[in-house]
Amino acid sequence: MSHQQTISSEKITSDLLPQKFGKPGMIWTAFLVVLCLIGLFAYYRQLRYGLSVTGMRDYASWGIYISNFVFFVAISLVGSLITAIFRLTNVGWRTPLTRIAEIIAVSAILFASIIIIVDMGRPDRFWHLFLYSRLQSPIMWDVIVITTYLVLSVLFLYFPLLSDLPILIQNSKPGSRIQRLYKFVGSFWKGTAGQVALSGKAIQIISVMIIPIALAIHTVTSWLFATTYRPGWDSTNFGAYFVSGAFLVGAGGVLVAMYVFRRAYKLEAYITEKHFDNMGKIVVMLAFLYLYFNINEYLVPAFKMKKAEEHHLVSLLTGDFSVLFWSAIFFGMILPVIVLLIPKGRKPLPAFVMGILVVIGAWFKRFLIVTPTMLSPFLPMYDTPESYKTYWPTWEEWSITIASLAGALLIVTIFVRLFPIIPIHETIEENEQIKPEQV
Amino acid sequence: MNRFAYLIGTIALLFSMLSPSAQAQDKKATISMDLTYHQQNDDLPVLRVYASSKVERRFLPAEGVEIALFFEEETAQGFMGRVETNVRGMASLRLPAKYKNSWDSLTNFKFIATVTDNEGFEDESVEIDIAKARIALTLEEEDSVRMIYAKLSALEDSSWTDVPETEIKFIVRRLLSDLSGGEEELYTTDESGEASSQFDLTIPGDVNGNIIIGAKIDDNELYGNLVATKIVKWGVPVVKDNSFAKRSLWATRDKTPLWLLIFPNLIIAGVWGMIFYLIYLIYRISKLGKADKSI
Repeated sequence: MSHQQTISSEKITSDLLPQKFGKPGMIWTAFLVVLCLIGLFAYYRQLRYGLSVTGMRDYASWGIYISNFVFFVAISLVGSLITAIFRLTNVGWRTPLTRIAEIIAVSAILFASIIIIVDMGRPDRFWHLFLYSRLQSPIMWDVIVITTYLVLSVLFLYFPLLSDLPILIQNSKPGSRIQRLYKFVGSFWKGTAGQVALSGKAIQIISVMIIPIALAIHTVTSWLFATTYRPGWDSTNFGAYFVSGAFLVGAGGVLVAMYVFRRAYKLEAYITEKHFDNMGKIVVMLAFLYLYFNINEYLVPAFKMKKAEEHHLVSLLTGDFSVLFWSAIFFGMILPVIVLLIPKGRKPLPAFVMGILVVIGAWFKRFLIVTPTMLSPFLPMYDTPESYKTYWPTWEEWSITIASLAGALLIVTIFVRLFPIIPIHETIEENEQIKPEQV
Repeated sequence: MNRFAYLIGTIALLFSMLSPSAQAQDKKATISMDLTYHQQNDDLPVLRVYASSKVERRFLPAEGVEIALFFEEETAQGFMGRVETNVRGMASLRLPAKYKNSWDSLTNFKFIATVTDNEGFEDESVEIDIAKARIALTLEEEDSVRMIYAKLSALEDSSWTDVPETEIKFIVRRLLSDLSGGEEELYTTDESGEASSQFDLTIPGDVNGNIIIGAKIDDNELYGNLVATKIVKWGVPVVKDNSFAKRSLWATRDKTPLWLLIFPNLIIAGVWGMIFYLIYLIYRISKLGKADKSI
């Protein structure tokens, strides 16, 4: 922030305006598009031949699609953490991170909705969810709360964007398609006192609203599991366990995005080492919190080791899933805590690496929440083929899952191409208001 | 040369006739049969036959085997009928009505089961000798104490005589099998052929509380399987579960519990009301922008 004071408004504008893709940007975008196309082909095969092309059978009827869904829902929670909580608590250094967090939230929650449809055997009947909805079903609660969070997140992205639109219109080629897009999105924004007041009011309302909705979205997702009677899911802690994990992966995701945007768009003057330092500390706190809930979820049942839950716990702690389980715990939580506790570990590069570990660890953690439980029913099925008792995703499942992750990244990439990833107007205002003694 | 060819041919023929494969093709499997006698109350008895054969050192049910059943003698006159075993190797036949008079008058009788001219099995025959017996069942309730009495008697010289020292069970008929209805699993008849037990079970009956209580002897060498049953209102009347027709968490959507309709819908309406208000704010912002010509 210390650099910002000396930066003129023109410099800020030119620094933060969206830039055309360079060669790496083109390669990156093309790579994501190819992954999406492969995923689309795999989904065509799934539509053509049914869910039998997946590795899901009678035992593991929820596989990596559901793991991926939970991951997307989790990472989407970051929007409320960075934008709403930091805004309401007047965290001064939040500005460069808010839009990053919000676009991650929007793209993640959008693909959470898509991937859940992919998991359906008959996606053509998706509308039945609304037409024949039963409020008794936790699945319906999830549909309602995800839809609400998606709309609210889009609004939370949109309102702060309004004040940047005149700058974008002014700095884009007259009559170009991109300028027409900006005008369509918000040519009416003139920055009048009335508009600013209404926009401020709207942002304030959303900041308050989105926190309970965000907590609800992941709590309800956890209830999809906790309301069923299965080993590992039959827990009253599940809501808090899921929410704490979601905050961690979201914060890890922001660390990664901060580093990438900082390097790609040379934003060192705006996303400073102080931001990494602060976010690193937040990740440590959230990792401790998530570790606490993990101990609750696994150590207490393991101490009792009830016969019916033994298969599930043993498969995680010492059995087939143990390598994955302990890797997710160590690399996804313990190692980031150790590294980020050291001041040098909170420098951009190590913080970025730890962020990647947190995100990857979180993805596999969701897999470990879903699959081992499915393979450890309280009442084993009779006379099923041996192959039903194990689960390994097919190439179609991997392709679709990877495509969904690529799709979410593609949305972020395209957004960054069209809109400033750091709010220009807000940064200029802060730069003008900043006092020397606050530096 | 011709003599040599003839000799080789003869040896080959002999070998083929004596070889194990040739023997196996002609050899039929042996069949094992178990014939049992079942009689309930005053009904005509039922003959049950179970057929099995040894396959790879294990006895497996023999399915689709035709078995002829005879009463008293293996003649056309005694031929009761022919049955075919099911997938579990079992078949049964009720004593035809034409033998009722004979069965009523006899104190001892014989049943014969035979397998003859079967393509897969060698001929086999089993028979059982049964002495005619009956169980008289009495159910009494006095001062809320429910008692089951059973008296076993056998027909000897045209008169019914008590049968002592015979094992007997008290049962309650349930859907899939019999539940023990006595205080003990097994009782033994006394000198007068009687056994009794208190009935203490509290179990569901039909809508009127009816349950079927019985006394039976199983696989008795002399008398076969005998059962006497009575219907009595000693069960707990079952109230039909019509919770699916009421508002509940497991009912159809038109029967959602009211609290689940009211509170979540209030929350949904509140949140979406605010979302629509936010969208309305966009409209107001746009109106303000269009009205402002200064910029």
